Amino acid sequence: MLCLRSARLWSSRLLWRACPGDPPLLLPLPGAQAAVPAAGKKDQVEFPALDEEQLEEQFVRGSGPGGQATNKTSNCVVLKHIPTGIVVKCHQTRSVDINRKRARDIMREKLDIFHKGELSEVVVKKKESVVKKQEKRRKVNENLERKRQFKEALAQDLKPGEKSL
Amino acid sequence: MLTMWTMWRGCCTQLLWTRANGKSPLSCHAVRRCSAPALPAASITALQAVDLWRRCFEQRGVTEPRMSSHYIIAHLLGAKTIQSLEQEKLIEFLSREQMEQVWELCTKRLSRVPVQYVIEEWDFRDITLKMKPPVFIPRPETEELVELVLTDLQTTPGVAVIADTQRTFIEVGCGSGAISLSLLKSLPQLKAVALDQSVEAVDLTWENALRLGVQDRIKLHNMDIMKDGEALLSICDPAVALVSNPPYLFSDDMSTLEPEIFRYEDHAALDGGVDGLKVIKQILMIAPQILLNHGRVYLEVEPRHPPLIRQWVEVNVEELRYIETRHDITGRSVSKHSLCVFKCHMQELHMVLDLQ
Repeated sequence: MLCLRSARLWSSRLLWRACPGDPPLLLPLPGAQAAVPAAGKKDQVEFPALDEEQLEEQFVRGSGPGGQATNKTSNCVVLKHIPTGIVVKCHQTRSVDINRKRARDIMREKLDIFHKGELSEVVVKKKESVVKKQEKRRKVNENLERKRQFKEALAQDLKPGEKSL
Repeated sequence: MLTMWTMWRGCCTQLLWTRANGKSPLSCHAVRRCSAPALPAASITALQAVDLWRRCFEQRGVTEPRMSSHYIIAHLLGAKTIQSLEQEKLIEFLSREQMEQVWELCTKRLSRVPVQYVIEEWDFRDITLKMKPPVFIPRPETEELVELVLTDLQTTPGVAVIADTQRTFIEVGCGSGAISLSLLKSLPQLKAVALDQSVEAVDLTWENALRLGVQDRIKLHNMDIMKDGEALLSICDPAVALVSNPPYLFSDDMSTLEPEIFRYEDHAALDGGVDGLKVIKQILMIAPQILLNHGRVYLEVEPRHPPLIRQWVEVNVEELRYIETRHDITGRSVSKHSLCVFKCHMQELHMVLDLQ
């Protein structure tokens, strides 16, 4: 569970920029992230486990002493999957520990999409949800149509002089 | 009524400005506190406020200008992070009351009050704790310490078999209660005895325990391990673990601390003496007397400490056996802190207890 002790350092460019590329608060998230909207949340789907040896993790806190000698509130976790080059950045919460866990959850989903493509659970679920929505819409429209026809029939029945009891 | 720390803080501010600016305290510039920008007459949106204050913090040399602005304003809008707020809320105009609150809190940050003290709360793992100066603010690295203890409590052969309801751990220097309360929350049967030499810390830990609903499983004591270490034996039963993030900074390093820490956090929670080992050594000396056989000591220490501590324990505390040292997760060549684990191995003592 605890992070690897890999001594490999990233390029200083990546290391020292505190959470670069934070999207402007009002713009939509980049496409890749949009594919995993429920990032870190519990899902019925089980993704394959991560191999920590293949991960590089950076907890972006800047330079200088740490531990008691520092009080920094930025707790962005940057996780890189070395074989694929996929990078996940997470600063969803105020806890580094939770951000690390969520970063891994997101990474697992991304890797699943990467490896399985169309067959990935994430993609399959999305398609299922789209189909469900279409089905629901179809039923709603059907109901509306039925009601409309019923009302029409009712209106015709009530026209004076047309029918006798 | 001015509390001691408020007065002390006032003095420190003067002193610090001198150090930082190289100007004498008599200079107006050095003594004057940072004044806030004027409250706008017209209302602005949350997003505009975030931007305004970020720029203000940047101009005044306040560290983490963007994060500070984000956390404070998100908090006032009822969220923990700015990202979790709905976009509609960010572009709504703030009420006059909200504007005043933003200004009040952000002005505090101008004086380098840590964000956690400004919003009076912070998260540690999956719990939210109330924060109150000068009680030490939990550091994110300490979350790793808790993970380590949790794993061991659930898997270590000698320890895991002890009936859940009997297991107690001791924390030395509980501060806001981060370590103890986090462990109690994760393991519903666990019990804790926590101490701190600061009465504010003990009070805050109790308040947080109540908030988290774990008050029935924690006993708190306001005591100084340096003076009353022996008394610990009489107030609690032998424990499965002793956990601590003790003051471990070198006294000489205290003056180089950033204003957020130097001015507002309890120095006694940071200063570990000339070699930073004063409190650590005391904890290790006492540990064998309050630990069950196979019980463990978990310490967060300064990166330079582990080999020194290991050597010292070998010579001075034969009942303790060194287990491991873990360095922090950043993987850099210079660690920011280390975790030391020692195991209590007291065959002789165990036999004595058996005879009783």
